[in-house]
Amino acid sequence: MNPLSKMLIVGALLMLAGCAEAPKRYDYAHFRIEAPRSILIVPVTNKSVDVNAPDYFLATIATPLAERGYYVFPVNMVKSVLSDDGLSDANLVHAGDPRRLGELFGADAVMYISIERWDARYAVLSTAVTVELTYTIKSAHTGQELWSNHQRVVYQPRANGGGIGGLLANAIVAAIAKAAPNYMPLAHQANNGAINIKGTGLPAGPYDGLFGKDTSDY
Amino acid sequence: MTLRVFLMAPILVASLAGCVTNHQRYDWGSYDPSLYAYYKDPTKAAEFAESLAAIISTADSHQIPPGIYAEYGYLQLQEGKNSAAVELFKQEETHWPESKVFMDRMIKVASTPTAQSSTK
Repeated sequence: MNPLSKMLIVGALLMLAGCAEAPKRYDYAHFRIEAPRSILIVPVTNKSVDVNAPDYFLATIATPLAERGYYVFPVNMVKSVLSDDGLSDANLVHAGDPRRLGELFGADAVMYISIERWDARYAVLSTAVTVELTYTIKSAHTGQELWSNHQRVVYQPRANGGGIGGLLANAIVAAIAKAAPNYMPLAHQANNGAINIKGTGLPAGPYDGLFGKDTSDY
Repeated sequence: MTLRVFLMAPILVASLAGCVTNHQRYDWGSYDPSLYAYYKDPTKAAEFAESLAAIISTADSHQIPPGIYAEYGYLQLQEGKNSAAVELFKQEETHWPESKVFMDRMIKVASTPTAQSSTK
């Protein structure tokens, strides 16, 4: 077996180990008591300098939550209705009482997302695109925090061939990323990492057959 | 070397896939990219509406994701098509009882002529 094959196998084993080795299990005590059926995603707060990041991110989050088995309120409609009611400022909505939102929409739980980072940093020949997010779900009945998660995803293209060809390839990738960095795959990956990992993600929702039956994993 | 990398790639991909549960419960059509395109260019509301209409007309009713009827209804309301909006809000409520409070409220808004302007 040549060194490359060995490296790849070691790599594959490390990846498997990375999945098997569960990070610290989240405490689902409050989540289980409430067992929310519906989740209201409110406008996203933004600590990055990219003013479009909250809207772009909003286009990625309903799908994985609904696929997990929850009723997810229509995100664009909710955003517009809140805006019509004078609540277009995400920071204001996040600072408000989740029980009030619960009354307005009839939601069981409210999901708050904060964008910590959403940027591309450039070196001469390489670039790193970073998306970092904090997710929090609060009960719309009691205001209690039910779940939270933090994700940071970095995309850094690397030369694979080495030599001048690899460097050029890298420079080209960096130039493309600089022109229009695509954050969407990173946002999808972050959502997946937040929602779908056993021990730290979201328990199955009411439209999943495992609703209330996955207590050994969550 | 290229061949070996080629052979190893599926194993790496499979090991990544093992980390996540990834089955599709619903037919989302082009929901995510259409909403993204709409946020990128707000003049593309019609395209976003079309993508929602396409999901409703082509997917089996039990595969229509939560929020799609309502989202489409809201765009109809913004177009001033209040009765179409009301029908869609009712559909959302029938398929998803969790939406009842919100949909009842929106049906009231869409049925009150004076309230219409405030939703614009």
